[in-house]
Amino acid sequence: MKHLIKIIILSASLLAGEKTWSSHSAEILEQGRWEIGLFQPLRYGYSNYAEFSIHPGWFFLIPNLEIKESQKSLFGYKTASQYRLTYPTMLLNMLSGDGIGKVIAPEHEIPHMFSFSGSLIGTRSFKDTKLSLNGGLDIGIVLGDLNPISTIDLPLVYHRLGVFYNGWGFHTGIDIERAISGKFEILFDLDLIALPGYDGNYSMENKILLSWNKSRNFRVTTGYKFISGEFPYGKDSRLLPYVPILERWIPIVELQWARNKK
Amino acid sequence: MKIVINFITLLFFLSCEPWVETFEDDSDLEAVMFEALEINDSLAYDGGSVRVLTWNIRVGLGRFPWIYDSCGDSVIREKSPVEKTLMEIAEKLNNIDPDIVLLQEVDFLSKRSGYINQIQFLLDNTNLNYGAYASMYKTQFAPSDGLGMVDGGNAILSKYRLENAERIPLALRTDQSSVVQYFYLRRNILKAKIPDLAQDGKDFYAVNIHATAFATDDTKQKHIDKYIEVLNSIDNEGNVFVSGGDLNSVPPGAGYDFCLLDDCDTQVDSLGVLSNQNYHTNQDGGPHLSGSYFNNFPGEPDLLKPLYDNESFSGAVDISDPTDTTKFTHAQSTSYERGLGIVDRKLDYLFTNGSWSSSVTHQGAWELSDHIAVSSYFNYESE
Repeated sequence: MKHLIKIIILSASLLAGEKTWSSHSAEILEQGRWEIGLFQPLRYGYSNYAEFSIHPGWFFLIPNLEIKESQKSLFGYKTASQYRLTYPTMLLNMLSGDGIGKVIAPEHEIPHMFSFSGSLIGTRSFKDTKLSLNGGLDIGIVLGDLNPISTIDLPLVYHRLGVFYNGWGFHTGIDIERAISGKFEILFDLDLIALPGYDGNYSMENKILLSWNKSRNFRVTTGYKFISGEFPYGKDSRLLPYVPILERWIPIVELQWARNKK
Repeated sequence: MKIVINFITLLFFLSCEPWVETFEDDSDLEAVMFEALEINDSLAYDGGSVRVLTWNIRVGLGRFPWIYDSCGDSVIREKSPVEKTLMEIAEKLNNIDPDIVLLQEVDFLSKRSGYINQIQFLLDNTNLNYGAYASMYKTQFAPSDGLGMVDGGNAILSKYRLENAERIPLALRTDQSSVVQYFYLRRNILKAKIPDLAQDGKDFYAVNIHATAFATDDTKQKHIDKYIEVLNSIDNEGNVFVSGGDLNSVPPGAGYDFCLLDDCDTQVDSLGVLSNQNYHTNQDGGPHLSGSYFNNFPGEPDLLKPLYDNESFSGAVDISDPTDTTKFTHAQSTSYERGLGIVDRKLDYLFTNGSWSSSVTHQGAWELSDHIAVSSYFNYESE
């Protein structure tokens, strides 16, 4: 069970790059506002120009920090730069070993390694619709020997960790957010992770999320995530979340809370 | 909105592969067929003998100290040493030059063996032209020991065309929890017709089996019973079979307790006496190491007797002296390094309802697997 929890932590922390609530756009959280979800990180509006986010519950297993900073508008798009630093070594070494729940073979020890991602986000609003474009570079720094066959060949995980094995990669994406009616809104998200030269050099990720905003302080989100990409074993696609023993997809259910610091 | 619904429906169809293949649909009874890149079409059967070989090739791991079946601590092997071992297996097959090969533990697409399609690899690097494959373990990701994706099983390779290949499921173990069983092996018998070898109106079949190794209940009895049923069915219809595989059973009269030989904590003193604190410590002689003890249920030591006693069947290798080490086909892959020799038991067999001649246990190729290949010449007429 504890290994299952660690796998969920790994998946969720890798999902942290996903954009929900106001995180998907170039807009910055209001100063003093914080948001948190079951699987989403804690975001905090540090000022009207910068916000921070971390996964507080998992910080000690997979230390991570993300900073988003407002930039000058370009071609009618509001823009922001985003930087993320992750250190996955501790969690990956916990997932290495023999026994049920271990997803990295026991002969592999994961060295100290860091990933650094820099992105530029541009957002433009059209009546009820908000369009965001993003792109950026990912760098993986490995301080030691990382065996190339120690990968976790799972959709979502394989390409997110691929930057450590490949050394670098880039990502780009488009998000369309639209208010449907009343308190409901829908998000369409399409992202590409490219790892040139890697064995399984791309992953396309799509999700559609429907959100019900009960108030400014609470919302419920549901939807799916679809992954399609190239893996060491060939092309593969998977609808997530997927429950193996039930052999079926189940919808994402995310609860999020927010408050404004007075 | 209609577009969104259509799009999501499309996604469901694009990603409908199960996480674990349980082989419960009728369509799963069909085996996967292969052909060599270059096929030798000039072969014509003249009614003479047909060389048949059975070999558990241990997914091309050679004597790798694998965590599951030896005193090893590794799970995943790099692609290049697996390719090297497979090439050596291909060379050995070319030297022996069998017409029909029954392979067990062949990987179709597994992380543990570098995602090499081993059926295609062996077809492309041997004189064999056609292949049929039946998976015994197919999962997107085994969440244990970092095993990851696995698709491995039994294969029949042949110089002659294969038809009507059928995956016959074998009983699942009942000594496991349902969750473990869900992610565990689904063993099978692979049966294929070889029309070019048919004579006098008799169809010719190749039948390949890999019976359970680690069950501590009577699952092995069920597997052997099913195997005999399949062979009897071919025989009763007046047809011919060559068959074999890794039966994971010792010959009647052979020793059935290999716990101390196989357990990695066993100590060997200067006189060669084995001692161990993990097994055989109870008054009833137990506990026993699963996969190393062949007397888990009444009658297990004589499990193969019905095959040898059947008047229609013929075994390729004489087992009248079950202590004859030249007939042994298996030992743990790390047994040599532990000073325990290269083979210590016989688990691999060939049977037919025709006759055999010139049978060989190929112990010279011991470094290529933890099992030894067995070959023999099938003849329509009894000698």
